[in-house]
Amino acid sequence: MGYTPCRLLLMDNQQSPPHPDTRRQLQMARSMCWHCQSEVTGEYFCDRCVKVQPVSKETDYFTCLGFPRRLLLDPQKLEAKFYELSRTFHPDFYQTKSADEQTISLSNAAVLNTAYRTLRDSIQRAEYLLALETGSVKDIRTSPPADLFEEILDLQDTLEEYRASERDSDQGHRLRATLQTEQEALERRKEGMEAQLRQLFADWDKLQDAGEATSLARVERDRILKEMRDLLSNRTYVNNIVNDLAATIA
Amino acid sequence: MAYSDKVVDHFNNPRNMGSFKKDDADVGTGMVGAPECGDVMKLQIKVQNDTIVDAKFKTFGCGSAIASSSLATEWLKGKTIEEAQKIKNTDIVQELNLPPVKIHCSVLAEDAIKAALADYQKKTDGQPTGTK
Repeated sequence: MGYTPCRLLLMDNQQSPPHPDTRRQLQMARSMCWHCQSEVTGEYFCDRCVKVQPVSKETDYFTCLGFPRRLLLDPQKLEAKFYELSRTFHPDFYQTKSADEQTISLSNAAVLNTAYRTLRDSIQRAEYLLALETGSVKDIRTSPPADLFEEILDLQDTLEEYRASERDSDQGHRLRATLQTEQEALERRKEGMEAQLRQLFADWDKLQDAGEATSLARVERDRILKEMRDLLSNRTYVNNIVNDLAATIA
Repeated sequence: MAYSDKVVDHFNNPRNMGSFKKDDADVGTGMVGAPECGDVMKLQIKVQNDTIVDAKFKTFGCGSAIASSSLATEWLKGKTIEEAQKIKNTDIVQELNLPPVKIHCSVLAEDAIKAALADYQKKTDGQPTGTK
């Protein structure tokens, strides 16, 4: 077959060289070709024998898609890169290759799909980054927002009342109107949280771009991660009750 | 994934649903949430002479979370504070046959118990309990 997936990548590399961090991490993840044992410096293929290289389990999704750990990613660039790599690893192009290469291309394609699904959604992307940056999300213990919880549980009572009521009765109409108002208010709150999150995303990217290792930068990093953790959690709580409200009064 | 009969039973007939006044001196309140799934759980205990005489819960979440907290309130009643401390999420998992993906629901219930006990103990503030 005349197709060499490697060329496609080389062309791309000339246009936009990978972020230095990315390259370093990749080299740490796997430095030796499984086939010819020479050092692998290319991203997904061995420079010497041009064999496809497995994306390591330790390779994070940002690295996998060739993006730095930023939170405001251009969805179009992300999609373009995903399509490009999908073609690169597509099992169709490996039909005539060895069984090892077929296995690697297939597993790379699977990792790539998960990586893209995670990163294309800004909320999931932030959750994922938090997990990467803090080891485990649970490391940042947040105090539960008691007021929000009370509100949610009270709403839950009203929802139950509504479910038990005659829909066409006065009580049914009244409860429905209450729930609708609550739903709208919560949706606005969710939007507010998302706006705050976008600000934090921008703060994070700015901090990373500056790349300073000062103690001040460290404090700022921790602040951003902590606030992001809180907001993401609270957003999940609000999102759940909003969905429940919407489904019930629909 | 199918829920076990015990989960379905607790879900359809939750025991001890409701709440106590959280400012009452003999009431301990545990309010916890699981940010990963968005479940919220409130568990309250009423204590007399160091013994939990009543327990109530309110849960916003999946069937397993409701069943875990419902079961927890059943178990709490009649136990001393010390005995209640020993309830483990694994006991709940075993009793309800929770599948691995639902283990976090039992963890949430254990957290709620611990939080309720801590809240009560904070209120009594080291004084010998149950003198009221």
